[in-house]
Amino acid sequence: MSASAPTSLLAAPPQPLGRFLVPSVLVHAVLLGLVLGYGALTARPMLDVDQKPIRATLVRLGTPRDEKLLPRIEELPPPPKEQAPPPAPAPAVVPSPPTAPEPAKTKAPGEKTGDERQKLLGAFDKMSKAKRPPQTSGALDGDPSGDSAEAEGERYYGQLSAQVKRFYDVSETIPDQDRVHLVAQVALFIDPTGQLARFRLAKSSGNDLFDSAVLAAVKRAAPFAPPPDHLRTPLQKYGIVLQFRP
Amino acid sequence: MLPTTRLARSLLLVLATLAARAHAQTQVLEISGANFRPLPLAIPATQALTEEARASVGVFDEAFVFDASSAGIFQVLDRKSFLADAREGFTAPSITFSRWADVGADALVKVQLAVDGASLRGEMRLFSVASGKEDLRLVHVVPLTEPRRLAHFFADALYRFFTHEPGPFQTHIAFIHRVGKGREIWLSGWDGRDAVVVAKEGLNVLPAVGPDGNSVAYTSYRSGKPDIYRQRPGAPPTLLVSAGQMATGVAYSPDGKRIAYSLAQGDGTNIYVANADGSGARAVTDTTYFINSSPSWAPDGKRLAIVSTRAGSPQLYVLSLDNPTDARRLTFQGNYNQTPSWSPRGDLIAFTARDERNAFDLFTINVDTGKVTRLTQDQGNNAEPSFSPNGRLIVFTSTRNGIPQLFVMTANGQNQHPLPMERGEFDTADWGP
Repeated sequence: MSASAPTSLLAAPPQPLGRFLVPSVLVHAVLLGLVLGYGALTARPMLDVDQKPIRATLVRLGTPRDEKLLPRIEELPPPPKEQAPPPAPAPAVVPSPPTAPEPAKTKAPGEKTGDERQKLLGAFDKMSKAKRPPQTSGALDGDPSGDSAEAEGERYYGQLSAQVKRFYDVSETIPDQDRVHLVAQVALFIDPTGQLARFRLAKSSGNDLFDSAVLAAVKRAAPFAPPPDHLRTPLQKYGIVLQFRP
Repeated sequence: MLPTTRLARSLLLVLATLAARAHAQTQVLEISGANFRPLPLAIPATQALTEEARASVGVFDEAFVFDASSAGIFQVLDRKSFLADAREGFTAPSITFSRWADVGADALVKVQLAVDGASLRGEMRLFSVASGKEDLRLVHVVPLTEPRRLAHFFADALYRFFTHEPGPFQTHIAFIHRVGKGREIWLSGWDGRDAVVVAKEGLNVLPAVGPDGNSVAYTSYRSGKPDIYRQRPGAPPTLLVSAGQMATGVAYSPDGKRIAYSLAQGDGTNIYVANADGSGARAVTDTTYFINSSPSWAPDGKRLAIVSTRAGSPQLYVLSLDNPTDARRLTFQGNYNQTPSWSPRGDLIAFTARDERNAFDLFTINVDTGKVTRLTQDQGNNAEPSFSPNGRLIVFTSTRNGIPQLFVMTANGQNQHPLPMERGEFDTADWGP
């Protein structure tokens, strides 16, 4: 009979499962890596059906309207501006010779400036009763391509939404009772320059007219503005899903 | 800690991080507010199969095309742009659909007329241009003297096919024709054609189409003060209400069994509800020194929209017939809101309002949310809206062409057309069954 080595109370007890833990974790890591790699290759946006869609609107450039007044028919936003060519390098600046300052204009007592005269006489001037410029509901810091009286959400998404909505035409013949239930989703990927890399119908509404209308809206709306830095990678890698309702 | 345990924990941490990144959620952005555009519809000229039918083609064609153009859901293409052969056949195999696709048509409608004795027989076929298939075929017979009636029948059928709802084209309107200082009441088809006079002499105003579509209730000054009468074309008037100082503004309930009207008595003007023959009248408002007028029934027949000056200016109110003392104010914008017309769909009330530029224009207000939408702007004065029985269209009076005329538009203010009526001054239309 051999004597066994005494066991110290301070030593850690032996763990029979320890030898299996590391291989198990390694196997799971490999499997997870394979799944992620497959997902990266197919690059389909993973949709969470319980995720609440966000709304983003771009406020229109205009003056806020008094809420007590009856509403005006809102005007269509101006067409999007064409992309200007890159600016030419500025020429070398040659300092101009100093010029003497102009003497300040002094008013004679009782003399009125042109603006003041216009204000006084404007009420009696027939020209002042000419057609007033159209009043647009919006904000002083709004966007010329905005389509809403109030802003909401991420600005880039608001621009994206406004641009797609400009081409979001659906046939009037779709019955009202069908319109209530129509929901279609289009998944799209935008590269850092704003070009539409790819898009597809992620969820059909069940109505061919509506499905073709939403796909056409996305296709015609492209290209978009280059996304901001914090959205560049997500939009290219994971894309964004547009959920259309009538 | 054992090295293996430390390694295992590190790997677990890495896995957790990867898992979190793997479930980085893609944003879902909601887009609503579609621009509903009409369906491009090609309607080639109606064909006459018999010589006798040629006389009816022009009248039929005019009515059918106007109905389709006014529906708000079709964009009727200009015939001058058509590329297809005019001698093309009437059935799908004989039609070159690519020619119709080239002009932008999504749907194609062909109609043939033939005379059979004293009847006019029409056949309509609807085709889908994309698929080249026949979607609808319909045959209908009317008296030879009523080609418009045939056109309205086919237009209704076309409307119902696409929308699954009844069309408005086989209904009637009553309106006022101004003749010098007098006001005549006329009853016609929905488009103002085939009109017959109902009340000719004196001053007659505020017509309301009867539940049978063949009579009109109206206010008349023939007795020296405003009373309410009912009359059929060619028949003598029947007195419905003669009480107080003025009885005006009659409106039939949706089931046609009751009427609501405004009655001036003493210091105030109140709303009364009575049986359709004028009996059993009872007041549903009781505000002394104020004016309550212009009742319009809700489609459930249990509520009325009225105009009241109890707040100091004419505003719209909704009152329940079960509890009429609890009137809910509806309009809070503007200081002059009048002539409500409750949509048969129940959600909207159209009304006339005077804006800050002193122009009269048409608006709708959502009964539940109170949201006000403007329908007309910068086009003369527009007033006195009346919804179609299906709630999709509105007929109204407009002075945009210099004289008061009747116009029709969709319930959201689109597609505004003058009715193809004879030259004259017309206003205060009521759209009935």
